[in-house]
Amino acid sequence: MTSPDIHALTGAYALDAVAGVERADFERHLAECESCAQEVQELRETAARLALAATETPPPDLKNQVLAQIREVRQLPPDTTVVPLRRRSVAQRLTTVAAAVFFVATVGLGVVVVRQNNQLDNTRAQATQLEQILKAPDGELLTLEGSGGDTGSMKVAVSRQQDKMLLLSGDLASAPDGRDYQLWTLAGGKASSRGLLEPAHGDITYEVGDLGDADVVAITVEPDGGSPQPTGDPAMSAELPTA
Amino acid sequence: MGDRARRLRSARTDPANDAGELLQRVARGDEAAFAQLYDLLIGPVFGMVRRIVRDPAQSEEVVQEVMVELWRSAAKFSPERGSATTWAMTLAHRRAVDRVRSAQAAADRDDMVGRRDAGRPFDEVSEQVTARLEQEQVRRCLNTLTDLQRESVVLAYYGGRTYREVGELLSTPLGTIKTRLRDGLIRLRDCLGVA
Repeated sequence: MTSPDIHALTGAYALDAVAGVERADFERHLAECESCAQEVQELRETAARLALAATETPPPDLKNQVLAQIREVRQLPPDTTVVPLRRRSVAQRLTTVAAAVFFVATVGLGVVVVRQNNQLDNTRAQATQLEQILKAPDGELLTLEGSGGDTGSMKVAVSRQQDKMLLLSGDLASAPDGRDYQLWTLAGGKASSRGLLEPAHGDITYEVGDLGDADVVAITVEPDGGSPQPTGDPAMSAELPTA
Repeated sequence: MGDRARRLRSARTDPANDAGELLQRVARGDEAAFAQLYDLLIGPVFGMVRRIVRDPAQSEEVVQEVMVELWRSAAKFSPERGSATTWAMTLAHRRAVDRVRSAQAAADRDDMVGRRDAGRPFDEVSEQVTARLEQEQVRRCLNTLTDLQRESVVLAYYGGRTYREVGELLSTPLGTIKTRLRDGLIRLRDCLGVA
């Protein structure tokens, strides 16, 4: 994303009002645009004043709780190296998108309900299905990740030989009001819809066949009912191993 | 550059400078310095997080996370890149926003509440004199913004909304919201004498 328009995002970014892949894009832009970084810093100093103006007195016992907690927490070392940001293709970029909409604590089997008929009855069926894919000679377990350390992940078991993959979700939160999660596979940048994902409670997995040439799997947030082509922010994605 | 640096420095209030010094001591594992830093920052962190998260129990959780994170990552702070207070508030705001953007939390919140509050960002009058002065100055400067600039900034910062959500709430095209947020903050920056 190199449109001149991107500079206008400094304000929204300083207010944490940019989400998903757009945020990742803008952060890459910031790494290369010194004047933008300077402006963001000044606007953040400004935004911090909004916090100072919101000052409220906290509950008195909070301090002791925090002081007790820090005694258990090891401090991080200072930054000594700077990791350069790589330029990425659109497909690669999809793999590093932010996943603020996901609130996934662990990789544990979780919570995707699918509106179509892909629901499995129980965890045993799930495990069997997973085992089948993973015991294929080219069976692989991938992680769908959002950017940032605390956004969680989702597992995908995939076998090109079997031409299918199995998605295992952790705590996939509900889509925002009026939105749905939609699953896509991308082949050479061309997206095909693989259905809507609706989180609820229960251990459910989602199987997708006919992978064809798909090289990327992605989940986006779309208007209710889904879209013919992805329009929303990709919330999670991963590159698939080549056939 | 020298000029700008000087202005930036002089614009910083004393507490901010204190925060920078304390944070550097905290980075070396100084628990007493952390206790002082806590006293300095807890008011704004708590007030801002509560405004965004709203649910009292969840707000407290986020505030605790934020304070512990300040302890944990104190060594990552570098004074050349801005003030310690800003660094802390940026971290706190990001955490609060992450919390409410987990979709479940978003569903629990009432959109209309956010919208109604947009016009009057300060419900409570702070007891502390310095906080009240700060509040007064920010209120005065917010009033120099156009209505759309002010509403956008308030919804984004205190409401924790993305600019896309702000666009929907205010029925305004996204390009306009982006510009209003930027122009609004720049006007606020100049009025507050941040740079």
